[in-house]
Amino acid sequence: MAKSVRALPDDIQKLIEVNEWDMRTREGIKRFRELRAKSLPSVALDEELVYESLIPGQEELSDEIIRRHRKKNDS
Amino acid sequence: MHSICETQRYIYQTEGVCPPEIHFCIQANILRDVRFVGGGCPGNAQLVSRLLNERPITEVLELLNGITCRNDTSCPQQLAEAIEAAQGGRIEPAYSFKVYTDPLPRNRMALIGNLDGNSDILAALLRDIRQEGVETVVCLGNLTGASCDDNKLFQVIKKEGLLAVQGELDWRYAQGTESTAFAPLEQTQRDRLVRLPQLITFRIADKTGIGFYGAYLQDLPGFSDFEPFALEINMVTGLTQFLQDESVFPALESMTAQFEAQVIVFSQIQKWGTWHIGGVDFISLGPAFDGNRIMWGLLAEGAEKIDFKIIKKSNVRRIV
Repeated sequence: MAKSVRALPDDIQKLIEVNEWDMRTREGIKRFRELRAKSLPSVALDEELVYESLIPGQEELSDEIIRRHRKKNDS
Repeated sequence: MHSICETQRYIYQTEGVCPPEIHFCIQANILRDVRFVGGGCPGNAQLVSRLLNERPITEVLELLNGITCRNDTSCPQQLAEAIEAAQGGRIEPAYSFKVYTDPLPRNRMALIGNLDGNSDILAALLRDIRQEGVETVVCLGNLTGASCDDNKLFQVIKKEGLLAVQGELDWRYAQGTESTAFAPLEQTQRDRLVRLPQLITFRIADKTGIGFYGAYLQDLPGFSDFEPFALEINMVTGLTQFLQDESVFPALESMTAQFEAQVIVFSQIQKWGTWHIGGVDFISLGPAFDGNRIMWGLLAEGAEKIDFKIIKKSNVRRIV
């Protein structure tokens, strides 16, 4: 999952800060529960659980990041 | 690899002295938390621990070496040898929790939950268990409790050769940090508790099983998310809240492929339950007595999988 995020184009990488949690750890479990996730892999954007049980394609993920970035900057 | 600032905990098996074990910690060449366990003069042992606590190893070894008592050795000499063995890598740091491995593969095991310190309940359970042809009996804690019968309980456990695992209250008693709501124990009984394993591993039907009490293991000094069976403990306690949160079972199923154990038994929540998720059997033990009935679990090798039955019996002799 993290690989696919790190493989995003540079211009997308500049818009985001990536955090990865290991589900084997107590910290990872705590974060999983905070986000109210249910399955793996899970991707959250801005504290919101957006993708569960799937790894989004590069284009879809890039589009979602750009959409959220624009919304934040417009408001 | 541990950094020099990390605390390493050791358990040393002594020779020729009264206490069979010495527990101690070393951090950055400073000695901490020495405890002579299972025998000897508890008063003197506690004094030695206090006097040596937080002292540099080099100073400590000068004080300890060359003291004899019997068998050409002594508790201080054994501690010196233990420290030197730890520094020389001849003993490995202990896991944060103590593990006992049942050496024989089993076909039928009896599993007992919270005994609350009541030897009458244990006696009644054993009378029932003996009729079922089990090969071993495991008590997963707590052994101690509100019933003021702990001494007799320990005698029964020892006499019957039961495998006992330390529950959270048992651990608090062992550390001397139990609530004042519970009757105090003698030091010898506390030493018995401190020597108990905190996790048991066993083999049944070609599967690896583990049994433990619950979440307090994660609070033990040095607990690592990556030590053996920590993943199973984290998944049971933190992720699924002792299998009570079914919404996260899909995530649990994703993780079971990384488990070492295929049968996982725990007793903290004192509620009976069984689940089969991702090829792993999870078993929650209820209490040994519910006010009316004695209860225990029979874990057995089945035709294609393991079988687990909850055995409940009423009409037992009056148990107070």
